[in-house]
Amino acid sequence: MPSLSTELLVIGAGATGLGIAWDACLRGIKVVVVDQSNIAQGTSGRYHGLLHSGGRYAVTDPISAQECASENSILRRIIPHAIEDTGGLYLALRTDPADYAHEWQRACQEIGIDVEPQSLDQVLRREPALTKSISQAFQVNAASLDSFDLLNSLSHSIRKTGGQVLLHHRVNEFIIEDNTVVAAELVSELDQTTMQIGAEIFINAAGPWSDQVAALAGVKIPITHSKGTMIAMANRLTHTVIHRCRPPSSGDAIVPAGSVMIIGTTDIPVSSANDLPIKPSEIDFLLDQGEELIPGFSNRRPLRAWSGIRPLYNPLHDDMNSTRGISRSHVLINHAETDGISGLASIFGGKLTTFRLMAQRVADFVAQELQIDDQCCTDTVPIEPEEKEFIILSNRTTRLLPSENNARDSVICECENVRRSEIEAYIQSSDHFELDNLRCTTRLGMGPCQSAFCSVRATGIAFSSYETEDLLIDLTSFIDRRWRGTSLLAWGQSMRQIVFSRRLYLELLGIQQVSGDKS
Amino acid sequence: MTDILIIGAGLSGLFASILAAKRNADVTLVSAGHGGLSISHGCIDVWSKATSSLSLSRLKKNHPYRIAGKRALNIAMEAFEDIMHDASYPFSGSLSKQLFIPTAIGSLHCTAYAPISLAHSQMTKGTPIAIASIAGLRDCFPEMLVKNLRSNGYLVERSISLSLPGSEPYRDLYSTDLAYRFEDSAYRDQIAQLWKPRLSGIHCLGIPAILGLRQPNQVYQSIQVLLGIELFEIPTPPPSLPGLRLEQVLFSTAAHFGVNIILGSSAIGRIDRSRKLKRVSGITLQTPSNSRQLKAQKVILATGGFLHGGLIAHRDGSIQESVFNLPIDYPENRKALLAPSLFDKQPYEMHGVRVNSRMQPLDLKGEPVYENLFSAGGIIAGADRQSEGSRQGIDLATAQRAVEAALE
Amino acid sequence: MNQEFLPTDHCLKCNICTASCPVASVTDRFLGPKAVGPQAHRFQHPHYELPDVSEEWCSSCGTCTLVCPHDVPVAEMIAKMKERPNREASWRDRIISRPEMLGRLATRFASIVNPLINSSRVRAALERYFGISSKAPLPTIARTSLNKSLRDYYVKSPNRLEEISRLTVGYFHGCSTNFFEPMLGELAVVILESLGLYVFLPPQVCCGLPLQSNGLFDAARKLANKNIKLLTPFLREKIPIVGTSPSCMLAFKHDYRAILGIDTEESNLLANSTYDFFEFILQFVPEEVNRISYRKVVAHALYHPPCQLRGHGIGTPALTILRRIPGLQLEVSDFACCGVAGTYGVKSERYQVAYAVGEQLFQKALAMNVDFIISDSETCRWWISKHTKLPAYHPLEIMARSMGIIT
Repeated sequence: MPSLSTELLVIGAGATGLGIAWDACLRGIKVVVVDQSNIAQGTSGRYHGLLHSGGRYAVTDPISAQECASENSILRRIIPHAIEDTGGLYLALRTDPADYAHEWQRACQEIGIDVEPQSLDQVLRREPALTKSISQAFQVNAASLDSFDLLNSLSHSIRKTGGQVLLHHRVNEFIIEDNTVVAAELVSELDQTTMQIGAEIFINAAGPWSDQVAALAGVKIPITHSKGTMIAMANRLTHTVIHRCRPPSSGDAIVPAGSVMIIGTTDIPVSSANDLPIKPSEIDFLLDQGEELIPGFSNRRPLRAWSGIRPLYNPLHDDMNSTRGISRSHVLINHAETDGISGLASIFGGKLTTFRLMAQRVADFVAQELQIDDQCCTDTVPIEPEEKEFIILSNRTTRLLPSENNARDSVICECENVRRSEIEAYIQSSDHFELDNLRCTTRLGMGPCQSAFCSVRATGIAFSSYETEDLLIDLTSFIDRRWRGTSLLAWGQSMRQIVFSRRLYLELLGIQQVSGDKS
Repeated sequence: MTDILIIGAGLSGLFASILAAKRNADVTLVSAGHGGLSISHGCIDVWSKATSSLSLSRLKKNHPYRIAGKRALNIAMEAFEDIMHDASYPFSGSLSKQLFIPTAIGSLHCTAYAPISLAHSQMTKGTPIAIASIAGLRDCFPEMLVKNLRSNGYLVERSISLSLPGSEPYRDLYSTDLAYRFEDSAYRDQIAQLWKPRLSGIHCLGIPAILGLRQPNQVYQSIQVLLGIELFEIPTPPPSLPGLRLEQVLFSTAAHFGVNIILGSSAIGRIDRSRKLKRVSGITLQTPSNSRQLKAQKVILATGGFLHGGLIAHRDGSIQESVFNLPIDYPENRKALLAPSLFDKQPYEMHGVRVNSRMQPLDLKGEPVYENLFSAGGIIAGADRQSEGSRQGIDLATAQRAVEAALE
Repeated sequence: MNQEFLPTDHCLKCNICTASCPVASVTDRFLGPKAVGPQAHRFQHPHYELPDVSEEWCSSCGTCTLVCPHDVPVAEMIAKMKERPNREASWRDRIISRPEMLGRLATRFASIVNPLINSSRVRAALERYFGISSKAPLPTIARTSLNKSLRDYYVKSPNRLEEISRLTVGYFHGCSTNFFEPMLGELAVVILESLGLYVFLPPQVCCGLPLQSNGLFDAARKLANKNIKLLTPFLREKIPIVGTSPSCMLAFKHDYRAILGIDTEESNLLANSTYDFFEFILQFVPEEVNRISYRKVVAHALYHPPCQLRGHGIGTPALTILRRIPGLQLEVSDFACCGVAGTYGVKSERYQVAYAVGEQLFQKALAMNVDFIISDSETCRWWISKHTKLPAYHPLEIMARSMGIIT
């Protein structure tokens, strides 16, 4: 069995895991990050897109709020290319509890979160689509963060600094000697081969699957899974992040993301890390919430709905008496202390905006365990982007012109203006071609037609570089995945899109024939 | 007051308008936009996907073929072939045989009638062929075509990339851009000069369907002569030329026979409340600027299914027929319109208006809702046209029957 | 802004519009209606200027909106993108978009202007220095404009019409009929009167469509608001407005609201009270129309419905009348646009494309061996006539011939 040896093995290539690996790399620690799947298949890839100002937690969780506010400025420094500075507005509607806005404003000021009151006139001039029944409005420092850009950049930077990111490898066993985890056995999701990785420290950053990973070492962690559903609307109705100024609840944030707009989210306890079906009532609820902020919202076209599973720290389920809960929202559990298993620690909870801070705390722990003196510098060292076009809107806009270059660099995804060169670059850098990953990297297929045209085009381009059977199976499963996201929205214009795509795939192209088992 | 008002300019509406006009009725055709022909392969599927052959008696009683009757289907197909023949756009095929047409990715689409340039692929099975991709046309997938056609039993020797004369285009080209160029005989001569040397050793070539929109048969024959090889066309992703050609022929033929075509306005049904009989008086025509009444003796509703708004799915789960608000059956829960996988059979295909043997929409008691309202095509319930491969056949047969019934 | 996005929601990217666009298929300089309209619209942002996405190549024929099954106002979206401040427009565009001004000047000097327009040297100079294609047809200037010859028909206020018991209709002549083809206006009036209507000319200015097509929205809105102001008193008296130029009528019916953004009670009243000539007579005086006895007009003719007429969404009402004329063998053009699209084809940088758009129509007309062309729009008539060397008539003229009003 092939094997690797390293100092730190991070399990999970979400924002947390990659953040930890990045921090560790900068401290000169040898790191390998593994993930059971491809980048962005976990919680980080199903993200709302919000770079918090901290306002949301000002009243209920001031520590988190403070952390968000300071991380907000740090992230703008270290990964500016993934952030669109939309600004944010907190709106208290006439129907919202009147005193909350005051309480909230005071709490923000105490924490040091910049809050600027706005007049109704100012707000409506900035965002004419908003409702007029706003009683109070405040401007904050929120922004739109693209998690795919973030994850891909982190991964790229880790590799450039000597770390390894090993995808499609799932940990299926820990090798424990003398109550110490010494190695992990992994199986490849692609070809079922196994390998072993030995390390001095193992960090379980597997997000919703953290409990499954912990169970491999025979330990339990106080995790609760919460499902958050989001809907992407086909067009931006505002260019600013819009928050509801009321006690934090579901469906109170609308975030412009790329060329779309995302409303979220819900908070429903679920029992597992697996994809659970979204109920029509969740969709209706979110659209109705949106309607309150933007009149006509519920008649606008939703593009797709999806959910992410939040791995929450829930100490009420916890019968341990020692945790290293640094903050109420995320927790680092050193299993040596809590369960007598050395070499393994689990990190979960938190939010994407504070990923770097969580990673710093874990990396501090790792450094201490490895007796390394280097301090964290992720707050100043920029995360290097790969050389590719980024997803923010202005980049897409400037490339719309007709020119002699265009026919040579074919527009493959017309909805999102993704070029052939981007797909070829992806092919160059990927041993494994996955349309869903291509989607995360380039935004291919994320526009109104939900890949009706571009999925086949992209597969066509990849055809000479990979096993064709695999490509066709991937195409079929990608198309079906897109279906599942849109089939929840089977009304109005979305219904027409669904019918159109299906007719195109099945009648005009005959895709069902090429994947073999469909008739 | 027009004799027959037809709502919807898809295949069924256009066909119905020609049939009625040929019978000397005063026909008006109203449509808010074009129909679905540009996203179709331009062939006539009668019963293409189901494993058994079409036997009307084995169909459910409410299946449109059963309701329209075998006679209507036969007459419709004859009429269709006549129209195509008169327009110099002949089709090949019959009700008793299946043709297999390669798709843009190399699957085989089973159909009953196909235009000559597509049907010609049949002749080539067993002979070595090559597959062409055209520089600048992005919806070409030569490697996929080669692989899948080979799996489907075609002797594909290789693919070949052919370039176009002239300078680099400023953008990706659509199939319609190329079709326009190929309609010019001087351009075809240039093509021949450019391509002929590259085609030595090739006797039969499959190319994306770009050989003209107007006079397609002429372009097709001429190019074959110029290149000295046999060609067959493969429909591209939308805009699909074979579908557009069919649409163009139907629009031209309708205009030629005096159909008054009103495009760009939508229809709201009007009920005639002046008499005791339940009748429609025509429609309110919603033009881009205002609305006006259009009166008609008879109305044929040919608005299709969900795709172009004949049926509207509402968020609350209800389904509405968009012109006359005719009774539709629908599931209680919105989710039930769709199956979990795109590849499954879909409940939404079956929904629509119920009709009797005179193609009159029925109420919940089974009585015609209005005595002078008929319907044709995808708006009619009772057939999963996708799974059966019966889309165009039902369009034509029900249009035929509707016109017969309306003119009785 | 909220409402504006609604149509973008509707685009399914099905390419039906692209497939029907007469300009996209003849030039790759135009990205196509889908790409320039709803697709580019999604990338708009108040802080970044949308780069030129080839919208200047769109001829505004409106075919894309007509064929779209999803209610996406593609042509209107693209038209709005052409809006630019006056100072950015070329002198040429500022001048050719003001036919009223040009017409007033030209009719005074018609005897000089007409030979000049026909002089190849002058045309070469116009092309070289001014960007007007020497191959594009320009109208012949009338010596006596319509507003002079029908001076007595002008009515300034509806009070003057109070005693009229007959069905009353106001005739909007438009610049072209006024300055270039006044006979058409006279025929329109005669025919309407023969159908028992009381016809008058309301005070009116240029509809502003050429300004709008050239992106000069502020100037277009001035004219639009002027027309609305002048016509409203009559409209409030429920007096309809009828015109023989489908482009002007489309501006009233549709463009003022949908493109210039003038959405008021008055603009809506105007839109609802405006009619194409044939639409009007068939709807308002159908019995009188049915009583017309038509003399034979033995001819083989090709009727080309102008793109601006198709935009009305009323089909081709002129055909209903033309089909009643004995001896007239009619072909109907199934081409969406003849290419000229108002001032588009006249511009030297657009001429080639405009010609290419119409080329197959010209060839078909010649192949059919027709005697003449019939079309409701003046620019279509001049354009098709120039390129086929066939005479071209407004359907009114054929109707008048058949009614014995003219020979």
